[in-house]
Amino acid sequence: MGRWLDERLQFSELLRSVFEHPIPKPSNLLDYLGFATLFAFASQTITGILLATAYIPSAAEAYNSIKVLQTAPLGVYVRSLHSWGANFMVVLIFLHLLRVFYEGAYKKPRELTWLMGVILFLATLGLAFTGYLLPWNQEGYWATTVGSAMPGYIPVIGEYILRIMRNGLEVTGATLTRFYAVHMLVLPLIILLAFTPHFFFVLRQGMSVADKLEAAKRRGEDIEAKSIPFYPNVAFRMILLVVVVAVVLWVLAGVYPKSLGSPADPLNRNHYVPTPAWYFFGVYQLLKYFPGRLDVIAMVGLPLLFLIVLFGLPWLDRNPSHSPRKRPVALSIATVLVLGLIFLTYQGIRSVPKPLPTSGVIADPSYKADIDPIFQSRCVGCHGQSGGYSLDTYANVMRKNVIPGHPNASLLVKRIEGKVAPQMPLGLQPLSKDQIQTIKNWIKAGAKNN
Amino acid sequence: MTDEPGEKSTLADKSNLPRRRFLKAGIVGISGVLGIAYLGIIGRYLAPPAIGSDPLLPVGKADDFALDSPKLVAYKYGGIEQGVYVINTSDEGWIALDFHCTHLQCAVNWISAIKKFACPCHGGVYDMKGHVLGGPPPRPLYRRVIRIQGNSVMVGGRIG
Repeated sequence: MGRWLDERLQFSELLRSVFEHPIPKPSNLLDYLGFATLFAFASQTITGILLATAYIPSAAEAYNSIKVLQTAPLGVYVRSLHSWGANFMVVLIFLHLLRVFYEGAYKKPRELTWLMGVILFLATLGLAFTGYLLPWNQEGYWATTVGSAMPGYIPVIGEYILRIMRNGLEVTGATLTRFYAVHMLVLPLIILLAFTPHFFFVLRQGMSVADKLEAAKRRGEDIEAKSIPFYPNVAFRMILLVVVVAVVLWVLAGVYPKSLGSPADPLNRNHYVPTPAWYFFGVYQLLKYFPGRLDVIAMVGLPLLFLIVLFGLPWLDRNPSHSPRKRPVALSIATVLVLGLIFLTYQGIRSVPKPLPTSGVIADPSYKADIDPIFQSRCVGCHGQSGGYSLDTYANVMRKNVIPGHPNASLLVKRIEGKVAPQMPLGLQPLSKDQIQTIKNWIKAGAKNN
Repeated sequence: MTDEPGEKSTLADKSNLPRRRFLKAGIVGISGVLGIAYLGIIGRYLAPPAIGSDPLLPVGKADDFALDSPKLVAYKYGGIEQGVYVINTSDEGWIALDFHCTHLQCAVNWISAIKKFACPCHGGVYDMKGHVLGGPPPRPLYRRVIRIQGNSVMVGGRIG
């Protein structure tokens, strides 16, 4: 069969040149992250096509069609795989990007590979964002409403972009079909168009880690002892990594199935407070630090700067060295950015209302373990950086409204009990009686930072 | 692009022949026109409906709205129930406010105890007529078209 094809197409020469190049020993697992991302995409394609056979893209039917799908165990599992797979793909492509950055692999002659990679990264985030709306549940509906409101801050054309995205001013059934088309057709097409050259360039130029070997080979050195062939040795290790990633994905999808939540309620009768998917928490949290009219910096300025740096990196970074040690500035900036992103994401996740124990009074509460979580999840949304009184740190809590030892005289308690109007949290479900008692116990014991 | 590979000077000369230049310009030009034509269709097709083009729809009976007391009604259009606060104000007559906070479009809640709208997401606060009192919102709540026909309250699309 191979010979039959080769007679007609003369492939073997080409394939040999592509696959048999040497890779330095020891080969690093982190250099296979791109391949692992490709696996995640393949998994998303398969599970996505399966979901498409059951899903009905209309505001009236979408939620129910997923609900029907979820009546079968395999339906639950496939949807869970797709949801977890989206997380995997976002994480893997981000790690791949970081690894390529660390290795300096975006530099000459691989600028175009990097450029295609950036398009793939953004398309992946686009897939994650558009996919979030499709189940038409409360979580997805409101995350999309807030997320698609952000481009509205772009000067002059912002509102038009928002209306084009939503096909109107609000997130309606028309938005759902538009997102469906983008999620199913436009973004996969963009991924295909960007991936083909991305992959071709990698095959043509080889992995960047092999550059030194190739140079040594050209100098006439014997590189046999220092290298292993890409095919089959490194390729086999790549497959092993994929197996590990796949098993983790399959187990997580099985053990923690993705729940559907309640159907989208655009009237928001239950006063649901929107939260984004965790990988957008960085931006979500950033907004809290840019109050009022500076919001445009967080919503437009920083993302634009991020895009310019990402796309322009091979040309902005003029240091020709690939070695991490010789690029202290680039690596320091990147480290600060990544740490900042991790910090923002962590802070964002922490501030989301999460199910706290609403029953059970804690007699001797600790600020860190018992009180701060209540403030973070119920108060800091408003009383964070704005709102006149901040409950985000111990120092801020104690600035006013709390009189240690006297809970009933503390304005904080009067507000959450509703003795002084308006009752807090404003317009939301009040704290449970037990939560209020816990806070009172903490103040009575001296409101310590324990 | 030549039958005689390797003859670079000839190739360079030939590429400047008027006929070749014409053909090349033709390829680029025709592809360009085709591309622009399709971009035009795409642009027109995806253009969103004009602001305020939503129809007037009944949302309730005028008798059911107490004076100066905002009431959340459902404007059923586009496959969803859109949230609108309808208020029969004592000084300005009937007004309809879109219930999306102008900061990031979370749904605002009417807090009757303090007679203010509050947004649970980032703490935006508005008065009964939608003017910003505090928090990050950059502008007042959007108003929507409202008409009273007999006893029927009709709400339409957004104004501005």
